[in-house]
Order: sequence, then C-alpha cells, then structure tokens
Amino acid sequence: MINWLNQHVQAIKLVLNRMGHNKLSSFMISLVIAVAMCIPGMFYMGVDHLSKLSNHMQDETEISLFLKLDASPNVAAEIAANLAKNTAIKQYHLVNKEQAWRELKAKAESSKIDTEVSQLTKNPLPDAFFIQAKSAEPASLEALKNELQAMSGVDQAVLNAEWARRLSSLLALGTKIILFIASLLALALLVIIGNTVRMQILTQKEEIIVSKLIGATTSFIRTPFLYAGMIYGLLGGLGAILILCLIVLLYNQSVTQLSQLYHSDFSLAWLNSSLYLAIVLTSVVIGWLGSYLSVTRAIAAIKID
Amino acid sequence: MIKFDHVTKRYPGSDEALSQVSFTIEAGELVFVTGHSGAGKSTLLKLIAAIERPTSGTVLIANQNISQLRPNAIPYMRRRFGLIFQDHKLLYDRNCFENVILPLHINDITGLDAAKRVRAALDKVGLLHKEKAMPITLSGGEQQRLAIARAVVSRPSILIADEPTGNLDSSYAADIMGIFQAFHQVGVTVIVATHDALGMSTDHNRVLHLDHGQLKPTEFIQNGHSNV
Repeated sequence: MINWLNQHVQAIKLVLNRMGHNKLSSFMISLVIAVAMCIPGMFYMGVDHLSKLSNHMQDETEISLFLKLDASPNVAAEIAANLAKNTAIKQYHLVNKEQAWRELKAKAESSKIDTEVSQLTKNPLPDAFFIQAKSAEPASLEALKNELQAMSGVDQAVLNAEWARRLSSLLALGTKIILFIASLLALALLVIIGNTVRMQILTQKEEIIVSKLIGATTSFIRTPFLYAGMIYGLLGGLGAILILCLIVLLYNQSVTQLSQLYHSDFSLAWLNSSLYLAIVLTSVVIGWLGSYLSVTRAIAAIKID
Repeated sequence: MIKFDHVTKRYPGSDEALSQVSFTIEAGELVFVTGHSGAGKSTLLKLIAAIERPTSGTVLIANQNISQLRPNAIPYMRRRFGLIFQDHKLLYDRNCFENVILPLHINDITGLDAAKRVRAALDKVGLLHKEKAMPITLSGGEQQRLAIARAVVSRPSILIADEPTGNLDSSYAADIMGIFQAFHQVGVTVIVATHDALGMSTDHNRVLHLDHGQLKPTEFIQNGHSNV
C-alpha cells in the first residue's frame, strides 16, 4: 500500500517537475482546455439564469379576464358569481373600468405619457377580473382559460404567463444544444490532450526504452503520463472557472443597471458550485481519458530495440 | 540458471542470426561471449534478457521458458538482470544520482533506503563524488561505470554487458573488467559480450565463441591468450 502510494507520489513529483521545466507549453495546453470548457459553461449559465427567470414568471399564474366594453354591471356580477363557484380558482378580484381609468390617469401624471392620456376624452378600458388559479399546470391553466373565454360578456381571457412558457420550451431546446456543443468540445479536448501527451511520450522515448529494459511495467511507465493529463485537465478546469467568474463580473455591471430599471434585483450568480464542480471533474476525466488512450497506444508502439 | 536448447533466431528478411545454439550457464559463472561483429553476440544477450524471443528452440531462465512468458510477466523477469550496453543508454536529462535510482523506483524502493543503495552502487564504481554531476560531463569510462552502477543498484543475480569496453581505451577497459570480476567474486552471474577477447581477464573463464551465428567449441582464456 505504502509502496503503491509512493509510486504515485513519485509520478506526480516527476510530472510537476517536467511541467515546471515547460511552463509556457503547460500553460498553453491548460488555456486551450480552459477556453473549451468555458464555452459550454457560459451557455449553461445563460440558459440557467433565463430559465430561473421564466420559472419565476410562470409561478404568477394569473389569468386576466377582460369583459366587453359595453358589458353592464349585471353581467359583471353574474360572472363574479360564476367565478366564485369555480373550484379551479383560488381567488379573483374585479377592477372595474372607472377604477382602472383612475389608476391609468394617476400613473400617467407621474410619467411622460401624461399628454397622450389627457388627450383621451373617454374611458377606453373595459371591466376586468384578475384570477389566480389553484393549479400551475400549463394544461389545466389552458383549460380554465378556454372555459372563462366561453362565458358570455367576456371579450378576452389572457394567460399572462404564456410568453414565459414559450420561453421555457425554447430554453429546453437551448439545453439540448448545449449538450451537443459540450460533447463536441469534449471530443476535441480528448484529441488535443491525447496529442499533447503523445508528443511528450516522443520526447521521453529514451526514458521509456530504458525503463522498459530495466523491468518497468507498463503501468509504471503510464502513470506519470496519466497524471500529466489529469493535471492539465485540473488546471484547465480551474482556468475555465476563472474565466466564467470574470465574465459574470463584467456582465453583472451592465445587468444590474438593466434590472434596476425593471425594479428587479436580478443579477448573475457568482457561485454555482455544482457547475464549477462539474467543469473541473469533466476536464480531469477528459484529461485522464485522453492521455490513457494515447499513452497505451504509444507505449505499445515503442520497441525497445 | 540459463539454458539454451537448439535456439535459432531469424530476423525478418535476413539470415539466421543464431542457429541451433545450445549451452548452459550456471549461477555464479563469469562467461565471455566472443566473436566477430555480426556473429550474433547481441542477439544472444537479447534472448537472455527477454528482449527478443527465439524463432525456434527454448530459452530457460531460472527454469522459466522465455517464449511462454506472458507479456506482463516480462518486466519482472527483466528485474533479475542488470543490463549494460555499449552506448550506456543513460538519461541525459538528469544527474548521476537520478540515473542510478531509476531501477529502484521501478522496484518500488524509495526514500532513504534507495538513497543509501544508490550511494553504495556509485561508491563501488568509484563515482560517489560525482552524484550531482550530469552524465554528459563525464568521460566515456565514467559514463560506462555509471551505467554499471545503474545495472547493479537493484542487486540483480545476473549481470549482462554488451560490448561494455567497446569505445574505451585499454586502461579504462581493464578498469571496467576489474569491476565485473569483483561482482563475479561475490557470486553474481556475469555475461560479457566482446569482440576483443584479449586483455580481458587473467583468470580461467568460460568463453562462448560465436561464428556466423553458430557456437564453436568452448574455449578458455588463460593469461590473456586464447588456447584454441
């Protein structure tokens, strides 16, 4: 056990020593891995934040029910009674046209559309019910909307979260695209790391031949190269996290300004430990696999005579 | 210890490098393999060290048939040998100490114990004061002695040297041969291939003389002269 551990410690020491001698090329390889790992990470972060946002919107499962402009208060009362009976509805409230008109005018005075609103001579707004459904299920919401739409005196029923749902299905598509991009980049990384390790094997050909001659097992020869691949992967993964953090930092400066305009405290999250962990683990595994594939082939190809 | 039975080795696209060679080397012997260049000396040593496999016939090392060894058993077989080459095969990217410690690392020996053994091996070949030197700064004779230190550091029971004195002048060559004699005297089996049988030894030593891949009747060298 101690011997086994010792062998690995020796291998890591050897690799770090070699990397120390070739700082620039080690840095370059790690940078390539960092950039390649960073791209899917960036996409993921974007999609992740948008889908959180759209989920948040979908939670507000409000249906707006606009009555016909000429609907009498009796019709409104009838509809209110129907809504009260409907078991799918959690709560509702009526905003009648006068109330809505007053609110609009009040809002207009405090903003720039004052003149446009004051030009209106007559109230253009209908009575409206704002309804909170019990269920957040898209299908049952859709059914409720249709049911409400069918009631007499109703001009239009609008599901407020409809656009958010469309966005979220678009985002699901986006997630799939990320998966493709990530797999392609992983494949490219395998080749890049494999090639790098192969070049190193060629420069260490003498050492491999001598080691074979004095009785080194394949695993003894292979171990340092596997560690090299894993260390490149580790450095690349950490580099990718660094780049992602930089991007978040730069974006947040403009995103906070934007979200302040919308009275939201939305900003990109700094810390996404599961994403970071996934990036590092993936790149270490890719590093190991890439070097394993090329070192096994290369060692078999080196003839000791 | 080492037994060749009707061993023939043919490389693809060439004549037989060895044909129908049979001999036995007992533990603790000092044997010289002689013959003109191209007579098959290196092939013979490579067969012993499990670097090559015979085309036909059997090579037994410590009662194990080389041809039937599984590939992953070969490294362990090779650890019985200390190999010394004409071109030293030293690693020029590390110092003398690190060159000699390599076989110990392969045998999972590290730390103080390894360092002690490396210094003992360097001391035996008279290079203890050069442990931090890079091999490229050593003379030809010193490089060959360093290669011997590397070959003996893991205390192999068989020492195999292919033309160890090939590029050395005679005083260095005698120096190297003295080292081999010393190992022979402490019970190590030593096999030395050389095209230059003279000036090698003053003792009675066994000689395997090869001529165009065939083993000629065994001779003894006495007082530096062949008694054919």
